[in-house]
Amino acid sequence: MDFTFSDENESFRAEVREFLDEHVSPEIVQEMRASAAGEGIGRLTRELIGKIGDRGWIGMSWPEEYGGRNADLIDQYIFEEELARARVPLNLGNFIEQAPAIMHAGTEAQKAYFLPRLVRGEVTFALGYTEPSGGADLASLKTRAVEDEDGFLINGQKVFTTRAEQSSHIYLMARTDPDVQKHKGISIFLVPMDTPGITVRPLWTLPGGRTNEVFFEDVRVPKDALLGQKNGGWYIGASALNLGRAGARRYCVYVSPFEDLLRYLREDEIGRELAADPVVQDKMAQLYCEARVAKLFTMRSLSMVRRGENPPYEISSEKVWGPEFQVRTTEAASQILGDYHQLWEGDTAPNGGSFPRQYVGAMVSTFGHGSTQVMRTAIARRGLRLPKE
Amino acid sequence: MDVLLNEDEEMIRDTARHFFDAECDTDRIRAVEDGEERIDRELWQQLAELGWLGLALPAIQGGSEAPFAQLALLVEEAGRALAPVPLHPHSVASLALADAVERDEGGSLASSVLGDAAAGECLLTWAWSERLPGVGPDSVAMRAVPDGNGWRLNGCKRFVEAYDIADYCLVAVRTDAEGAPEDGMTLLLVEAGADGVSSVAQRALGGDYHSEVDFENVYVDGDALVGQVGSGWDLARPMLERAVVLNCAMIVGATRRAAERAFDYAKERVAFGHPIGSFQAIQHLCADMITWVDGAELLTREAAWHIEQGLDAALPVAAAKSFTNERCQMVLREANQIHGGYAQVKEFDQQLWYRRAAAWSMRLGTALEHRRTVAKALGFEEVR
Ligand SMILES: Cc1cc2nc3c(=O)[nH]c(=O)nc-3n(C[C@H](O)[C@H](O)[C@H](O)COP(=O)(O)OP(=O)(O)OC[C@H]3O[C@@H](n4cnc5c(N)ncnc54)[C@H](O)[C@@H]3O)c2cc1C
Repeated sequence: MDFTFSDENESFRAEVREFLDEHVSPEIVQEMRASAAGEGIGRLTRELIGKIGDRGWIGMSWPEEYGGRNADLIDQYIFEEELARARVPLNLGNFIEQAPAIMHAGTEAQKAYFLPRLVRGEVTFALGYTEPSGGADLASLKTRAVEDEDGFLINGQKVFTTRAEQSSHIYLMARTDPDVQKHKGISIFLVPMDTPGITVRPLWTLPGGRTNEVFFEDVRVPKDALLGQKNGGWYIGASALNLGRAGARRYCVYVSPFEDLLRYLREDEIGRELAADPVVQDKMAQLYCEARVAKLFTMRSLSMVRRGENPPYEISSEKVWGPEFQVRTTEAASQILGDYHQLWEGDTAPNGGSFPRQYVGAMVSTFGHGSTQVMRTAIARRGLRLPKE
Repeated sequence: MDVLLNEDEEMIRDTARHFFDAECDTDRIRAVEDGEERIDRELWQQLAELGWLGLALPAIQGGSEAPFAQLALLVEEAGRALAPVPLHPHSVASLALADAVERDEGGSLASSVLGDAAAGECLLTWAWSERLPGVGPDSVAMRAVPDGNGWRLNGCKRFVEAYDIADYCLVAVRTDAEGAPEDGMTLLLVEAGADGVSSVAQRALGGDYHSEVDFENVYVDGDALVGQVGSGWDLARPMLERAVVLNCAMIVGATRRAAERAFDYAKERVAFGHPIGSFQAIQHLCADMITWVDGAELLTREAAWHIEQGLDAALPVAAAKSFTNERCQMVLREANQIHGGYAQVKEFDQQLWYRRAAAWSMRLGTALEHRRTVAKALGFEEVR
């Protein structure tokens, strides 16, 4: 066992931190926040992505043939941790989830088109999974793609399609065969968002962000919009996921409200007075231990993936523990800060009003990307081999 | 960074698992719990022959010089097996003696008993707590005053494990009552049957015995000094950190086994026509149990690793202990819930794991005490 990072890891961390200190201005953070609230990707953000791309830090763990550096997953983990520490709300999902799927299942032409553009930030994907019929049981999705001579004709609806309004493409899961077992009739399509027949309608979320409904009405796409095998879409994710699953970015989301609360209680004048209460200190100590467990779960998954193991349940544990910890933290924060915790804006609002936003937004972690209920069932069945009902 | 076990660590874990699986069935555990002997002597001798009583001791004392984390893995396995031997207090005391010898501090008694301790011929324990339980320096008030070449001891120690079967006991005393709690402490190695010592063994929840030990004008020779006079806290602090981590390892080992027994039971026990393990409510309990015990294990290993590397371990040790105490109790409770009424029945084995792991979580500092340490390490000002 080894719970620390090597000198090389640490000097890479220092390099990333120095870069972010220099290049992430308050204006860029402001612009990124506005972007999350539905204002499109700003110029400064694009420039920053370009600079990060120039350093080779986007997709750094990819193979060299696809523009990566074959970097150790630990470096990618450190990069993600530093982005989170600098509170850069940069969406890495594209580089960590969609790009590996394209590497894994794409044609040569698809790889040549998408991968370099992804790294430069010219192509961005919205994730078109969830439908009104439900996200937990994703494989029951109804959006249809019917093949004909020219390509596919798509009809249906997606919901919670975040960044659909500002992405160049949608990574779309649709049903291509309704007559087989539900997992076996699904395909993935890479569809430009400006294709005729696609409409986007905003849904505004509680913390002040934007997501969308996306409607597909006789949307015609060519054959080469299909990624991988027709009807094999469900399994692309499953086999390409390892590069993406063992990252730091999720645990960083889970622990960030704790870190903000700790900083406030240590550094703010009111915070320090509140923290003189031993009951508050006890609560914070408890949360610290729980945050540490969230981090150690991530380090464990990373250790396993680096050893070439496929963790049977450990990533699901990470996905139950972390989000529930995040929610517990926001609730504890509300009972430590009291009246101050409600303040959404204004001079007396701690952290410019971030606490109530975290409070109402934290629960997205407990159902997004695999709900905690579904994850628990996966731990029990896959990890502990408990029987199906 | 790789938080999983390396080859050597896997080897000791697997060897110990294999050994205890083969040797230590519940008949042996029950025999000690119900018998007069309070230790399985044969098992103790086997551990000595395997070199495990001196696993982390220096070679000149007959030890194998294994890194501390490996000892923690061995103790975790002993906890998992509920091995009816006092491996914990013996390891804690012998490592403290070895620490003093290595620093070249104190009298010659320490180094002369260490070889026998590694060989299983001399059983060691340690006496720390007095009135209020805890692992801080203020726990120790018992006085020792200079007398000739040695000291006279007067006072009472509580919760001393295995005292009635021990040969020597490492006792923390105050040789100077003035000043801060960290100052004026001294460690002395006292013969368990010394003149003036009387002890009463009290049965505890885990089925073992803890002694209340009275010292009345007990004379201890200068040779029995461990470390330096008045700076006993320098040795006691790392001793307590090791004790706490080894205790966490035992709790984690036994709790994981209790949980695994519940998972197995859930696959077999049928209710309403189905195995109870097929009900989502039970599956989700099981998912939480494995997640919690894994969390306790990772924190414990991180703390053991800090000690092994000679890093400041105060925060990871306190984090591990406060989390392990509470979360493992929760796992044990759910494991019992899955066993229904049978978890309450003595002749059913589940209770053996439940009672011991729960009892171990009541020793060496409560979750509340350890969280005070965590809070301090986080930079909060102490308010007490
Ligand atoms: C802000 C935000 C952003 C999002 N961004 C995206 C995005 O970009 N792309 C995308 O595709 N999706 C996105 N999502 C959707 C998200 O992934 C879904 O909300 C999630 O998958 C849950 O689906 P649902 O909301 O339909 O709930 P449901 O699937 O209806 O679930 C409702 C409840 O039922 C429980 N449940 C379901 N099945 C079981 C079962 N078998 N056993 C026990 N309990 C069960 C769930 O755990 C949950 O608690 C986003 C959601 C939000 C709020």
